[in-house]
Amino acid sequence: MKRTFTLAVLALALIAGSAQAQSVGIGVQPYGGLSFPIIQDDTGSGAVYGLRVPVKVIPMLTFEPYYLTSDLGEGEVEIGGITYERQGFNHTGFGLNAMLGSVGGTGVHFYPFVGIGKHKLERDDYPEIKETAYNFGLGLGIGATPKISVEVRGELNMVVTDDTSRKFANATVGLNYSLMP
Amino acid sequence: MKNLRWILPALLIAIAAPGCILTSGQILIDFDLGTIDVTSSTGLVAEQIDLNTNDDYEEHKDKLKNIVDFAVLGTINNTGGTDLSPEVWITADLTNYTTDTEVKANGIKLWGGILVPAGTSAAVNWDTSAGLFTTAGKAMILAQATPPGDGNFTLYVLGASGTYQFNVTNGVLALVIDAGV
Repeated sequence: MKRTFTLAVLALALIAGSAQAQSVGIGVQPYGGLSFPIIQDDTGSGAVYGLRVPVKVIPMLTFEPYYLTSDLGEGEVEIGGITYERQGFNHTGFGLNAMLGSVGGTGVHFYPFVGIGKHKLERDDYPEIKETAYNFGLGLGIGATPKISVEVRGELNMVVTDDTSRKFANATVGLNYSLMP
Repeated sequence: MKNLRWILPALLIAIAAPGCILTSGQILIDFDLGTIDVTSSTGLVAEQIDLNTNDDYEEHKDKLKNIVDFAVLGTINNTGGTDLSPEVWITADLTNYTTDTEVKANGIKLWGGILVPAGTSAAVNWDTSAGLFTTAGKAMILAQATPPGDGNFTLYVLGASGTYQFNVTNGVLALVIDAGV
């Protein structure tokens, strides 16, 4: 998966380099927010943060390699009047999103996106989950200057585990800086 | 650009196709074991479990794919004069043995690995408990929980060896099922 990811990034760089058009753009975007597990009784919500590198290939299509890490809180359940806690997952992942539209720039812009990645969920005394993940979401960008914009996103992240999945709703805010143009 | 508008619905359809990947969750089901008094190796108590009596299990059993987390919870009070290594054994059906010889001849070890010194108590929490299950024991519960299993099995709490006398208060069996919702 790492090899595929590296090749994808290289391919994007080549595409961007060969296009040499004014439409090509590359940015870098640290982000942070909250991750909420969906229908998971055994883990809680927690902070999520990471880095995205949006690469606008053509005017209406942007590819974006990403890395995320999330330290989820303890799952809490009350049984017979006693509260029991289960250690939350440490969630990490990397992958590639594709969005209809562009990230960064001035003004207000919306963009739906889908993505695929390789994610890992770990905690003590639990078999490690290292599986393919799918992302779906909607982003809102607000650019005050051509170089800097604030990107707000809502995302469903779904880590597939055989016939089922572990799902997370992520709400994040990122600060995008355009490296080019 | 014409092809791009098909990307999102095509990806959604591809992901939804395998069944309950999108509509699944990790749901806790728990069974109150109450107080268990073990007077000696010939004074065991059978804790008969019928998963079908649990509403959450009943609701999801047809779409149950896996059991992803296990815990035996409660406080173990060693009322005997020697150190205690408590174990939980399981038989695949509803049984009513009273001696550890019978249990060990007809069941398999499900859980164990802590030490409770003489005259002391140990509260077993979720994180500690989850790491003390045997692979064979977990497989037996999963086999009983999924068709053609009937959802019935029996648990016995006993000492690993020697003479023992103890009780378990607020005993709970907790299972996290991976199932369609």
